[in-house]
Amino acid sequence: MIPEDLKYTAEHEWVRTPGESEASVRIGITDYAQDQLGDIVYLQLPDEGSEVEAGSSIGELESTKSVSELYAPIQGTVVKTNAAAEQSPEVINSDPYGAGWLIEIRPSDPPAVDGLLDAATYRSQVESG
Amino acid sequence: MDDAEGGSVNVGAMSSGFSGLMRSPLHGRHVELGAKTGEFGGWEMPLEYAGGGVLKEHAAVRERVGVFDVSHLGKATASGPGAAEFVNGCLAGDLEKITPGQAQYTLCCDESGGVVDDLIVYLRGPDEVFFMPNAANTAEVVSRLTERTPEGVRILSQHGDFGVLAVQGPRSDETLEAVGLPVGHDYMAFADAAFDGATVAVCRTGYTGERGYELVVPSEKAVALWDAVLRAGEPYGILPCGLGARDTLRTEMGYPLHGQDLSLDITPVQARMGWAVGWRKPRFWGREALLAEREAGPARRLWGLRADGRRMPRPGMTVLGGDDGPVGAVTSGTFSPTLRIGLGLALLDSTVEVGQRVSIDVRGRREAFEVAKPPFVPSHVR
Repeated sequence: MIPEDLKYTAEHEWVRTPGESEASVRIGITDYAQDQLGDIVYLQLPDEGSEVEAGSSIGELESTKSVSELYAPIQGTVVKTNAAAEQSPEVINSDPYGAGWLIEIRPSDPPAVDGLLDAATYRSQVESG
Repeated sequence: MDDAEGGSVNVGAMSSGFSGLMRSPLHGRHVELGAKTGEFGGWEMPLEYAGGGVLKEHAAVRERVGVFDVSHLGKATASGPGAAEFVNGCLAGDLEKITPGQAQYTLCCDESGGVVDDLIVYLRGPDEVFFMPNAANTAEVVSRLTERTPEGVRILSQHGDFGVLAVQGPRSDETLEAVGLPVGHDYMAFADAAFDGATVAVCRTGYTGERGYELVVPSEKAVALWDAVLRAGEPYGILPCGLGARDTLRTEMGYPLHGQDLSLDITPVQARMGWAVGWRKPRFWGREALLAEREAGPARRLWGLRADGRRMPRPGMTVLGGDDGPVGAVTSGTFSPTLRIGLGLALLDSTVEVGQRVSIDVRGRREAFEVAKPPFVPSHVR
């Protein structure tokens, strides 16, 4: 499941424009990522207000079998985090594009989002393994 | 499992591609059920199933019933006049404490007291003992026994001859009864039964802490038995369960896993498994070293770690004491689906006591744990 209206990264994250917070984008992990990780049991997110660089590690997701880092898809300020997902990380498995979102970032350069992968490109990346 | 060092892996890098691995007679069924597989002791085995996952499969076993394929476990037989007496002089457990028709958890130690393997032996009679070692250690256990067999006793490795199914959970009796297999025998007892023209050993053993059975079935009948168990368990909500859930279940019980919590470097005295050793026996491999260590007191002991939160310890991580000095290392760690917290086992300096607060640096964040005596959840094996 790869929704057409989202942007993607090679690290299996999605970016939705706009986010709920003002001038923000919403970020989560893809259905493929949650399936590969298995049941997610621990989630660590960055603090609200923190400045993040594109490509930097800003948190982690842990399943019983492995740990995966969360990367910032773009540069900006973390304006909101999903406290419900931190409390109950299983929502990331059950609804990765909806209630299982992770953070909202206010991009320092909004057009940078356009440079991320579109659904077709991400799909071909997943299919080629 | 695949993240023993506690480092990070990218989710994109986890796709599997195995070659040269042994496969269970049930492999085709696992593929049909959408299993994700992993490598266990040279075997490609299911980690979890599509539509299931570790948490659901774990809950099925704690609350209802689950079936595991554990055909990677080794199988071997010692037979011939005096076979049981020979085995009793080698392995650490006291076979005289059980009678034919009973199984025993025992240890194969080396002369220094280190553990070559922990295994279940089935006493069939004075002249026949069946072994179920861990997959990766079967060849070594068979080789050590074979080197020392007296005249007339023969060790036969049968690793590929049998499949092994573990049916575990409070509804396992009803499930097996519906298959037509005998149930209700004592914990650690086994009974042979007819199934589809073959003989299946039905043993009250397991690695989950729940009431359950392990079924040893000739390989060519493994698929028929697997199908029959899943069908019979349907009214009880049975799930096929992978080795991912088996690990969370056994960690909640504090059961050691060889290669992590027991090894050539970790003796039964250190692992607090002295209950499995026949201390009164005149001889078994490692006896002198183990007696000396028990007398002097071990330098370290295996205890449980209970996290304050969800963060789980991982094998190899250093445990820090009250003054932040190292007091030991984590040997197993996982998330407890029952308690919703991180749990682990750790080898800790003998000065560390149950109830003591310790901490672990988990990838840059200090997490607090309490030293605990497992099991972390109540055992229902009996």
